Amino acid sequence: MQEELQAGFPILTFLTFFPLLGAMIIWAMKDQDLIKKSALGIAVLELVVSAWLLMGFVPDTAAMQFSERYSWIPQLGISYHMAVDGISILFVGLTAFLTVLLVLYAWDTVKIHPKAFFMSLLALEATIMGIFVSIDLILFFVFWELMLIPSYFMIKLWGLGSQCQYAALKYVLYTLLGSVFMLVGFCLLDLNYYSVKQTYSFDLVDLLSVPVPVGQQILIFWLIFMGFAFKAPVFPFHSWLPDALTQGPIPTSVLLAGIKMGTYGFLRFSFPLLPDASRDQTVVAIVMTLGLIAIVYGAIVAIIQPDFRRLLVFSSISHLGFVVIGLFALNFQGIQGSLLTMINLGFSTAGLFFLAGFVYERLGHTNVHECSGLAKKMPLLATFFLIIGMASIGLPGTNGFVGEFLILLGAFQAYWVYGAIAVTGVIFAAAYFLWFYERAIFGPLKDGLPAALKDLNTREWGIGIALCVMIFWIGLYPSPFLRMMNGSVQEVVDRLNSGSAAVTTPASHVLSQVVQD
Amino acid sequence: MMTFDLTLTGSDLLLVLPEIFLTLWLCTVLSVDFSMRKVEHETLAYLSIGGLLATVFILIWFDQAGIIGSLFKNMYVVDHLSIFFKILILLATAMVIFISIDYVKGFRFFKGEYYFMVMMSGLGMMFMASANDLISVFVTLEFSTFGFYVLVAYLRDDIRSSEAGLKFFILGVFAAGLLAYGISLVYGETGTLIFSQMAGNPGSYGLAIGFLLIFAALGFKIGAVPFHSWIPDTYQGAPTPVTAFLSIAPKAAAIAILIRMFYVGLASFKPMWVLLFVCASIISMTYGNVVAIAQKNIKRLLAYSGIAQIGTIMVGLAAGTKQGSDAILFYLLTYLFANIGAFAVVIAVNNFINSDEIEDYNGLNRRSPFLAAAMFLFLLSLAGVPPLAGFIGKLYLFVAAIEEELYTLLIVGLINIVISMYYYLIVVKKMYINEPVDSTPVTVSLPIKTVVYVCVAGTLLLGIYPKAFIDWAVSATLMFSKIAPPATAAHSSLLGG
Repeated sequence: MQEELQAGFPILTFLTFFPLLGAMIIWAMKDQDLIKKSALGIAVLELVVSAWLLMGFVPDTAAMQFSERYSWIPQLGISYHMAVDGISILFVGLTAFLTVLLVLYAWDTVKIHPKAFFMSLLALEATIMGIFVSIDLILFFVFWELMLIPSYFMIKLWGLGSQCQYAALKYVLYTLLGSVFMLVGFCLLDLNYYSVKQTYSFDLVDLLSVPVPVGQQILIFWLIFMGFAFKAPVFPFHSWLPDALTQGPIPTSVLLAGIKMGTYGFLRFSFPLLPDASRDQTVVAIVMTLGLIAIVYGAIVAIIQPDFRRLLVFSSISHLGFVVIGLFALNFQGIQGSLLTMINLGFSTAGLFFLAGFVYERLGHTNVHECSGLAKKMPLLATFFLIIGMASIGLPGTNGFVGEFLILLGAFQAYWVYGAIAVTGVIFAAAYFLWFYERAIFGPLKDGLPAALKDLNTREWGIGIALCVMIFWIGLYPSPFLRMMNGSVQEVVDRLNSGSAAVTTPASHVLSQVVQD
Repeated sequence: MMTFDLTLTGSDLLLVLPEIFLTLWLCTVLSVDFSMRKVEHETLAYLSIGGLLATVFILIWFDQAGIIGSLFKNMYVVDHLSIFFKILILLATAMVIFISIDYVKGFRFFKGEYYFMVMMSGLGMMFMASANDLISVFVTLEFSTFGFYVLVAYLRDDIRSSEAGLKFFILGVFAAGLLAYGISLVYGETGTLIFSQMAGNPGSYGLAIGFLLIFAALGFKIGAVPFHSWIPDTYQGAPTPVTAFLSIAPKAAAIAILIRMFYVGLASFKPMWVLLFVCASIISMTYGNVVAIAQKNIKRLLAYSGIAQIGTIMVGLAAGTKQGSDAILFYLLTYLFANIGAFAVVIAVNNFINSDEIEDYNGLNRRSPFLAAAMFLFLLSLAGVPPLAGFIGKLYLFVAAIEEELYTLLIVGLINIVISMYYYLIVVKKMYINEPVDSTPVTVSLPIKTVVYVCVAGTLLLGIYPKAFIDWAVSATLMFSKIAPPATAAHSSLLGG
């Protein structure tokens, strides 16, 4: 974060508010067919602009790029500051990518209130974009909270389970509980800035220029931890996730499980702002333990799940444990691996949820006991299941391997015991997935299955291909992705190593840069 | 001994110009009502609103031109703080008259007098905002409450309204008694009634009891626990526009008095009253929110949510700093729009289906997407969801509390946000998810629609562009930038300093 590069065109504002504008345009429409087509058009345009953003992004640097900065509420030091760097850029692309697939998925699977559904989906995309491009802490918080509203309605109105009302409320209240503590942490940072500079600021770039006393860092760390841990969710704050993801519709499951906003928060805010707390031995030991429990607990619980979507939920909790382990290894490989894994899960876990959705539409459930021999009727589905499943396990050649390998490397470097325990998670993952695959996809054809079981149609097929392309691209040629993150990851690692007291020198540099701009 | 000097110069009269103007105006409204029987009550309503808005413009001119000063040996002040509160109260009064128009159609008698009473209460509260000593507090408070005694019991044929009126009257008179007793004790101990002259007095038990009694009387006005018992029944029984009026204007006026009394009069005893407000705030927030969960009637739900909101406002008083008072002022603005807006929706629904039960809000989205969306926005703002007005207000209050290191209060306040979200979302769920029993579209009359639009605009504007309004709040409380030392620095104690 040495300098800020600006684009002439407010591209991040566009990316954030265009889907919202699109939702409003759709609101005015009557014709069902036109609504679908416009939703797709809006999502595709958003993807094209994000792709353009990714191509314009300068790799191998820690600079904040495409920066936009305006004063919003100066009395409290709140600004409208948007920018992307190596940590956030890939999430922007991932969100736009998944939204396009979700519009395709929802094309004729959403039968009740399709207009409202596409509006909610686009609004959700807008808020998630906002989360990833916000550099000001309050702006970030605004999108973080706003995200709850469209997802609440999506879980509630289009939920697949009978308990979706309860699940939606639980999801909102749990996340809210975590985030109010996070808000206090943000305010403490703001006040700390005031005590040094005699002026308020919630801007990440400003806050980085002021050291935070070590004792206070630990307090702020845990407050912020609550917000991110509930959202991620880190074990033991995960109890809303099985409800929300199995009761809710497939699109919210894809977005909530595929886009790792909670762990992104650790890397974006906790590490750079609170380096001394993040490397504090007690903190690391506690968080690492939670991560390891999540890996093993998630995987073991996943093995015994009869429902495929529940299996995916616990597999996602287990994967999240990996991400946490990689982050708190606090070295370059670990953090890079975690960041890449967060992106990977957006293709593999989210992909498996798509496939679960395809099965659900045909059978009306995803219960493993009620189906077997799906491969006989649906060979294409079986193929995609295998490819995406292998990516989820982390087979070499797929994207999952690169990320998990880097995480394990980092964990072994940090402390071999962490690495050794984490490795068992890989084995468990193979166990639960392969056992599921054997029961549900292979085996004799179950009697109760509908006779006219069609294989994937063109739309579904396209979704599968798109996911597979990304899986093999990252798996076989990850360096463009790694290069994008390198600079920022290195910056975070440097800050972690030097502590917050040593940061004042580059800070003046940053400020002078901003003035020059 | 105090001597009263009632000679007024022209410039003194100028200071009370808004009040004089409004008094003349409301007399005109009453005369028109009496003398011209043909004039429709709607005309009277618009005439009243015109007068109120004209008064707002006079006040804006005062604020811009810096016409401030004090009257009657500092008993009555016109400063930026009082102007802020007066504008707030007048806006609330104007909006209440707007949402009353349809409601008044249902009255058989005294349609014109209704507007007169509403305006008179508003006038009383304007005086409250300027009260700078305990006698003016007593007189102005009783003046404004007098109108409410009548208004709450306005539905003569409705037993609930009469009951509400009686409850409100008995408890109101009791609170007035407490106030008078407290004032006598304070005068006996300090020998003065003017806030600014009390600062620096040594503490004593008499003074402490006196101020606790005054606090209790004002706590009755703002509906803080444990002085809240009249609120749910009165809110439910009173005509709904009057409930809307009660839920914001008297609270704002009493908050103005509380700020003056504690920030100025008791500045040297800050550690004591900080504790008082911390306790009152915690109890009010928690009690209001927890009891609100069980409510079946929307007016009762809003009553309890209002108790909790007052608890939130007291977070700013507990902080006891300039920043705390800025936050209170800004929060009151956000509360004005969200709360009047919510009540406007309640009135619109009540006018159509004649019910205030939350069950009857089932499927409101199908029957009137406009009302449902507006209600959704107001409830989210009350809960404090960004980027709506309520979020910025709560953020401001909590920043003030963090700065004073009131962590217990803060944690309770934050948990309360989560609790409040629960019952607001239940209403949202009923409006959006449940199926309506009767799906005839709800029609909304023009005056109510106007108020709802104004409140939606206010809620969004205060959330998205709060800068100008925060500036206004900050400049209104400039006089506190020197007073109110930090809690840790003050050593004196109210009990024998």
